Amino acid sequence: MKKATSLLSSAVFVVTLTGLLTACGPDRDEGNGSASEGSATPANEEQDGAAPEKPEVLTMWVNDEEVQLDAYEQIVEKYEEETGISVEITPFSMLDQLESLSLDAAAGGGPDLFYQPNDRLGDIYLQGLAAELELTSEQLEGYTEGAIQALNYDGVQLGIPAVIETYALYYNTELVPEAPKTIEELEQIAADLTNASADEYGFLFEGTNFYYLYPFIEAHGGYVFDQDGEGVYDTSNIGLANEGTVEGANLIQSWYEAGYLPVGITDDIIKGYFRDGQVGAVISGPWNVSEFSEALGDQLAVAPLPTIDGKNLSSYSGVKGWLVNEYSENQYWATDLALYITNPESALTYFEVAGELPARTDVEIDDELRQPFLQQAEYAVPMPNIPAMSSVWDPMGDAFEFISQGEDPQEVLEEAVQQIADKIALQEN
Amino acid sequence: MKLEVGERTGRNHPKRALCLSIIPGLGQLYNRRYGKGSVFFILFAAFIIVFYDILNIGYWGILTLGTLERVDDSRMLLAQGIIALILTVFAIGFYLFNLRDAYKDAKRIQQGWRIPSLRESFQQAWDKGFPYLLVGPGLVFLIFTVVFPLLFMIGLAFTNYTLYNAPPRNLLDWVGFENFVQLVTVPIWRETFFSVFSWTLIWTFVATTCQVGLGLLLAIMVNDPRIKFKKFIRTILILPWAVPAFVTILIFSAMFNDNFGAINRDIFIPLFGHGFPWLTDPFWARFALIMIQTWLGFPFVFALFTGVLQSISSDWYEAADMDGANRWQKFRHITLPHLLFATAPLLIMQYTGNFNNFSIIYLFNQGGPPIRGQNAGGTDILISWVYSLTFENSQYSMAAAISIIIGLIVAGFALFQFRRSRSFKEEGSI
Repeated sequence: MKKATSLLSSAVFVVTLTGLLTACGPDRDEGNGSASEGSATPANEEQDGAAPEKPEVLTMWVNDEEVQLDAYEQIVEKYEEETGISVEITPFSMLDQLESLSLDAAAGGGPDLFYQPNDRLGDIYLQGLAAELELTSEQLEGYTEGAIQALNYDGVQLGIPAVIETYALYYNTELVPEAPKTIEELEQIAADLTNASADEYGFLFEGTNFYYLYPFIEAHGGYVFDQDGEGVYDTSNIGLANEGTVEGANLIQSWYEAGYLPVGITDDIIKGYFRDGQVGAVISGPWNVSEFSEALGDQLAVAPLPTIDGKNLSSYSGVKGWLVNEYSENQYWATDLALYITNPESALTYFEVAGELPARTDVEIDDELRQPFLQQAEYAVPMPNIPAMSSVWDPMGDAFEFISQGEDPQEVLEEAVQQIADKIALQEN
Repeated sequence: MKLEVGERTGRNHPKRALCLSIIPGLGQLYNRRYGKGSVFFILFAAFIIVFYDILNIGYWGILTLGTLERVDDSRMLLAQGIIALILTVFAIGFYLFNLRDAYKDAKRIQQGWRIPSLRESFQQAWDKGFPYLLVGPGLVFLIFTVVFPLLFMIGLAFTNYTLYNAPPRNLLDWVGFENFVQLVTVPIWRETFFSVFSWTLIWTFVATTCQVGLGLLLAIMVNDPRIKFKKFIRTILILPWAVPAFVTILIFSAMFNDNFGAINRDIFIPLFGHGFPWLTDPFWARFALIMIQTWLGFPFVFALFTGVLQSISSDWYEAADMDGANRWQKFRHITLPHLLFATAPLLIMQYTGNFNNFSIIYLFNQGGPPIRGQNAGGTDILISWVYSLTFENSQYSMAAAISIIIGLIVAGFALFQFRRSRSFKEEGSI
């Protein structure tokens, strides 16, 4: 009896409580769904040439590396002098920024400007975290064409490029006095110097990493996703098993068969051998400049990648840039700041302090080890910035592992493309 | 509510008190425990006033997951809804306590119990409630650090949270068991899930049994009275446990490299003329992993068994010698039962640990080598597969669904282990 009554009354309680609460929900007008697009009223971008009122403070998240923080401290100081807006820099690791933005930005917890690499652009766009920028052609003048493209998602410009990085050919002048101009010269070097039993090689690169393999495929007419004139990718059209890609894969396979490239090579092994002077040339990025020059001193030189059939190789480039927070209340001035901190003067300051290459064509840098990377960057193409690209790396890496073991490239690549398509379908369902 | 004043012993109706307490505090006032009654009522009112908004938004949020894109963040609403649920559970607990209290007090008054003064009742409450006061904060903390994230993950498994449908741009929806259904119906999931799951089971049983077996063998050998330098040998054998596993695995990963690793270069090629494809062939990669896990795991088991071996009384063996038992019989009927009885729960934990041993799989070969026609590598176990799913394909809901399955399996292990441990306690006759 007692049990029954207490049960009954608690049921009454729960019912009344939920009745009280069933969720009348927040008190608001449900009709303004579209009006709430970015509760920050977008700055009326220069409709009559008048800029909106200056805010007192702009906030930006700078990747938490000391040199980068130092560089931006110097750069924004000038901006503060010129405009009278004070800029607040918060050190925030580039890799953690998105997670925080996705959770806090809508509630007003984000900065005005944040900093991201181009391969995260799809995530940023799909979560609606970055404002769509309307930039005039003169504002975009001087930036590397590919870098602008890299921060453009499906025809929408989301970011302003700051730095670009791509790989080039490091060579050891003791073994390779003259940089190879063509792929045939490079193969000749490999034929002359390779002596696997003594761990000596002509040239090495990570032959199962699609990031480095792409230029050899592209040179023969392979592509990842087809692109239309607007730069929009068509993920249903994958060119990774077409004739060009197979031809490129055959070339790579011939290097494995000839013993120029050993199976199971890893980045660590390549770096180790090159530092010890056992390799003539390696393909690698600017992030190794200081390590290599410490080990090799004057013997180290860098050149753009060799040509195939007289055509420069399109290496993959990564671009990092500044994006304006969708929920920022000062989008106009945030854009202004982003343009300022990537202008020629700022880019040069940034290069001198932080050592990263500017994504601009109008900046002359005086550094013979880094200059060739900038030359190479002119031929480079940005890695596709759509989420579907994340489905490409693994299957292609696996495919080239099979190719290095002597399997038939055509078959292997067709399987890989099938896998990529399956993965993309899975991702998009 | 007007109360008659005066002596009313034996005239209190427990049921009436119970009914009055539908609004907390009134029943207590009826029992003329004014202090208690007002405390209850104030608590109740305060709860409603303070948490009304949280509960309101929370319930609305967990039911709808938001209605306005870019304004409502479904993840936040789900979290708030779970907090609202937790608060409600607390409230119901308090409410039931209040009902019981009113009823019991009324009953006792009926039986002629003298109502304690305010001070006395405070004293009583303090004495009774003190342990709860000590445990309480920890319990609340536990609910918000353990139970809450768990409920959040379970919630996500029933939504459609993927990269292409991600807050704050989009709203999430409840999709029921769709993720679980997909896991067993969509080919790419199904084929991969079962092949990964079967390797996970093989890995768990073979690797753990190997490490336990090796630990057992060495413990018994080193324990033999004819062995000298016992301390020194034990110290040496503990070393693989002492070196951080992360470091060991990475070094092994380099040593097993097909072309450049020391194992092929300096051992197999000079001795046998050819190496093994440790990192490129699924079978050999699995073989290498099991050997590495044995190497990493045996010292713990060895130390455990060594300790237990010390505690087996020598009377047993003397009695066995009198009966003319041979070495094997002594091991089989005396040593082994002792060892297993004392350590079974810990051994089961070893199995559980390997079932979810993410670090070794990931650090050794990132789950590789690739297998043609499958989206998981040859050595991927469930947990490392879920990791790559979440990070490469951004299938957040699916990852949560698979995590629930993993959790249930591990919970099964744990349950089994607790039951076993209890049965040992009751055994006690050894």
